[in-house]
Amino acid sequence: MHPYLNQIKAIVRKDLVTELKTRELFSSMFIFAVLVIIIFIFSVDLSIVKANEVGPGVLWVAFLFAGTMGLNRSFMLEKENGCLEGLILTPADRTAIYFGKLISNLIFLLVMEIFILPLFMIFFNVDLIAHLGPLLVVIFMGTLGFCAIGTLLSSLSSNLKTREIMLPILLYPLIVPVVIAVVKMTGQVLDGKSLGAMMNWIGLTLAFDIIYIGVSILTIDHILEE
Amino acid sequence: MTEDVAEETPKENYFLLWLTAVVIFAAIAAIYLYVPTDKTEGPVQRIMYFHIPSAWLSFFAFFVVFLCSILFLWKKDREWDIYAHASAEIGVIFCSLVLITGPIWARPIWGAWWVWDARLTSTLILWLIYVAYLMLRSQTAPGSMRARYAAVLGIAGFLDIPLIHFSVLWWRAFHPQPKVITSEGFGKGLDTSMMMTLLISLAAFTLLYFVLMGQRVRQEKLRDEIDRIKKEKLYSH
Repeated sequence: MHPYLNQIKAIVRKDLVTELKTRELFSSMFIFAVLVIIIFIFSVDLSIVKANEVGPGVLWVAFLFAGTMGLNRSFMLEKENGCLEGLILTPADRTAIYFGKLISNLIFLLVMEIFILPLFMIFFNVDLIAHLGPLLVVIFMGTLGFCAIGTLLSSLSSNLKTREIMLPILLYPLIVPVVIAVVKMTGQVLDGKSLGAMMNWIGLTLAFDIIYIGVSILTIDHILEE
Repeated sequence: MTEDVAEETPKENYFLLWLTAVVIFAAIAAIYLYVPTDKTEGPVQRIMYFHIPSAWLSFFAFFVVFLCSILFLWKKDREWDIYAHASAEIGVIFCSLVLITGPIWARPIWGAWWVWDARLTSTLILWLIYVAYLMLRSQTAPGSMRARYAAVLGIAGFLDIPLIHFSVLWWRAFHPQPKVITSEGFGKGLDTSMMMTLLISLAAFTLLYFVLMGQRVRQEKLRDEIDRIKKEKLYSH
C-alpha cells in the first residue's frame, strides 16, 4: 500500500484501538446525544408541533453537540503524554495526521449517529426505515463537513488554555451553512422527497465539505508546527 | 526603527486625517441638509446613509483580514498579522453598527426589530465569526502561534461567506432588494441626490477605515517596540 495511505491507516487504527479499549468517548457521546433529544422533547410540545417539522432540527442539534464533545476529545487525547509531539516527529506528512484524525472522528460520529437513529424513531414516532437510504447519504455528507472543519479547529483549540469553551465558539458560526442545509434536507427526506429534488442543498453541502477539506490541507502545516 | 515610527507617521496621518474630517462633515451635511426626505419611508430612511456604508466597510475589512491572513501564512511576516488584527477589530465595530442601525430602521418600516431575513442572518453570523476570531486572539499569548491560528481562522471564516450567503438565501429572504447596483445598471434605482449622498457617505466611511487602520497598526507596532525594549533592558544583565 502507498506509504501515505499507510500513515493515515496507522493513525485511524491507533484511535480506534484506544477507543475500543476504553469506550469512554463513544458512551459519553451517545448518552449526551440522548439527553439532548430528551431535553428538546420537554422543551417543545409534540402534541402541538408535527414531529416531522421539529424532528430534523432536534436530531442535528443532538448530533452536533455530541459531535463537539468527540472533536474536543480528539486532539486533547494527543496532548496527554506529549503524543502530538510524537506524531509530529514521525516522518508522516502533516496532512496525513489531519486525514487520520478526520477519518477517526468521522467513524466515531457516524457510529454514534447510527445508534441514535432508532431512538429518534421511537421517541418522535417517525418512520425512518422507508427513507433510510437518502437519510444516510444526508447524514454522511453533513457529518463529513462538520468533521472536516471540526478536526482543523480542534487541532487548533487543543493548544489553547480554554479549549473546551473555544472549540464551539469557533466552530458553530462556521458550520451554520451546513446545519441549515442538512436540517432542510433531512426534513425533505422525511417528507418523502427524493434527493434529486434538493440538488441546491446537496451542492452546498458538498461545496462546504470540499472547501474545508481543502482549507485544512493547505493550513494544517501551520497549526501542527511546534 | 524607533525613530522611523515616531518621525514618519505624523506627517502622513495628518493629511489623511484632515481629508477624512472634511469628507465626514460633507457627508453629515449632505445627509441632514441636502438630501430630501424619502417620500414613503420618512426621515428614518436617512439611517441608510450610515447603514449601507457600515456594511460595505465591514465586508471590506473582513476581506482585508482574509488577504492579510494568506499573506501572513505565506511570508510569515509580523506586519501582515498586525494588519489582519487591526482590520478585524474595525470590521467587528462596523458590523456591530450595521446590526444596531438595521433594527432602528426596521422597527418603523417592517414593524419588527428583527426578522430572520437572509442578509440580517448572514451579517449576524459574520459578526459571530469575527468576534470568535478576536476572542481566539485574546486567548492566545502574543507570538507565532497566535498569528498562525488567527490566520487560519481568518481564511476559514472568509471562505464561509459565500456558503452562508446561499444557505440563508434559500432559507428565507425579505430584505429590500439592492437599489444601487441593479440589473438595469449602476444607480438607476435611486434618485440622483440620494445617490450622491450615499457616495459621499461611502467615501467618508472608507477614508475613516484607513485612518483607523493607520492608528491601530501604529499602536500595535509601538507595543511591539515597547516589548522589545523591555526585554532588552530587563534581561540583558
